[in-house]
Amino acid sequence: MVTATNVSRWYGQVIGLNDISCEIGPGITALLGMNGAGKTTLIRLITGQLRPTTGDLRVFGEEPFANINVYRRLGYCPEIDNFYEHYTGRDFVRFLARLDGLSSADAKSRTEAVLDMVGMSDRADRKIAGYSKGMRQRIKLAQAMLHDPDMILLDEPLNGLDPIGRREFIDILGALAEQGKAILVSSHILFEVEQMTRSLLLLHRGRRLATGDLGVIRSLIDKHPHQIRIETDEPRRAAALLAALPNIVSMKFDRSGDSIQLEVREPDSFYDALSNAVIEHGLRIRGFSSPDNNLESVFKYLVEA
Amino acid sequence: MESAIFGQAIREYFRLRRILPWVALGVFCLFMAKYWDVLQSGATKADAYSNVSAIFVYHILALASAIFTTAIISQEVEQKTIVYLLTRPVPRWKLLLLRYLASGIVVSVIGILCAVFASIGSYQGLGNNPLLIKDCAALIVGAFAYGALFLLVSLMFNRAMIICLLFAFGWETAIPNMQGQMYYLSIYSYLEGIAQHPSAGGNKLLALLVGGSGDNTLTPGTSYLVMFLFSVALIGAAAWWFTNFEYLPREDAE
Repeated sequence: MVTATNVSRWYGQVIGLNDISCEIGPGITALLGMNGAGKTTLIRLITGQLRPTTGDLRVFGEEPFANINVYRRLGYCPEIDNFYEHYTGRDFVRFLARLDGLSSADAKSRTEAVLDMVGMSDRADRKIAGYSKGMRQRIKLAQAMLHDPDMILLDEPLNGLDPIGRREFIDILGALAEQGKAILVSSHILFEVEQMTRSLLLLHRGRRLATGDLGVIRSLIDKHPHQIRIETDEPRRAAALLAALPNIVSMKFDRSGDSIQLEVREPDSFYDALSNAVIEHGLRIRGFSSPDNNLESVFKYLVEA
Repeated sequence: MESAIFGQAIREYFRLRRILPWVALGVFCLFMAKYWDVLQSGATKADAYSNVSAIFVYHILALASAIFTTAIISQEVEQKTIVYLLTRPVPRWKLLLLRYLASGIVVSVIGILCAVFASIGSYQGLGNNPLLIKDCAALIVGAFAYGALFLLVSLMFNRAMIICLLFAFGWETAIPNMQGQMYYLSIYSYLEGIAQHPSAGGNKLLALLVGGSGDNTLTPGTSYLVMFLFSVALIGAAAWWFTNFEYLPREDAE
């Protein structure tokens, strides 16, 4: 559906996207990158708001810039949080349905359908100015689905949603993907993306860093020692037990004395072994965390790799 | 689709909060026309009406045009709502023209409203004013001519409002008063050519205020033709520009 070939985009002296080549097809693809990675630039290129400075970008086989043939098959949920604030949610969505070329009657019925889909039917007669962040996100998603597009692009759609809202949102995207639609979701949170899809496109400082299955990227990451912090009431006993586990590279106690910092290889195997140790030896663990489970660490690993 | 774009723009422009200040300016024109003889002793009803019209109504028209026309696209860009309009299966030129048409209608209504108020103030009614019909025609032509110019400017420059206001109150006041053929470069001169207001006589200050110090000899026919061609050329240029250039919400590009 989307084919980018050596696409670059400059903003004056600043490069937003640097020589990107990729293909995006049906299903959910996560566009992952830290702030400034070029996610929004890529989405704006695909939605035809921008032209590439160099390279070739095709959406449904056509150049997308101001191309109504592309827009007929494309839904876009932007990151910006701006609306016609004096409109009600229902009026806003219905107006955009008319812009999608639906007749007045079709626009009305389709508006009700998408509002129902995003769980906003009962609140859509309130003015948008009074909406919470989550309600705004739902309205944005609703307007992107109006014309039943083949591809939907969502720029940071989970921002501002509560956990239940996120779950519902992810379920909606899953259902759309099952219908054969291509969905591109940008995010800067790895954990968020993992709940949605295994297919990733990683951007870093305007360049494509990795693409493909999340598992492949995870295995690349897992080749590096992974930092894990374990909080326990009995750190010495825990250390003795953990030292016997496989894949431990290093171990040290925190200054506070109630937690242990570990470096491990293949963290998934380690987590399995850890849970067994807890069950078999009655080890009391108050909590554990991995500072490496954030995107910054992922990029660090991949850049080093 | 067309009716939705046009209807939305009309509803947006005719919102009470937007229209009320212009109604207030219309009432101001009414009072100025009613009490004009305080400023110009011995002024007839025709003098009062034509002077208020030339000094206030046509400037209000230009001001309204600057404000409503820049709202067509620039305001959408500022408010970041442009993204919803530009990612729909609507040709950009069509979007632009329909919104331009809506803004032209609103600005015409504002201009005519002010002229009607001025007429009520001077003639205590509408029926006895022989200048009103020609003024209404000139105001409609002016709404679309100013609109076409300001629209193009708003598409080409970031701070378009400043440029438009400088044009409306600086250029349009100064150029018609210049000697020679400079008046050809002012939209107001053509509108005056259509309206054919009576001369200010020997009052130089008044002539300066009403833009009558120059050598304007434009006839209504010439004025209509030039304004039509001017508007068509500029709106065509604006449509081409809008179709071919990028318009993004104003924010830091990622």
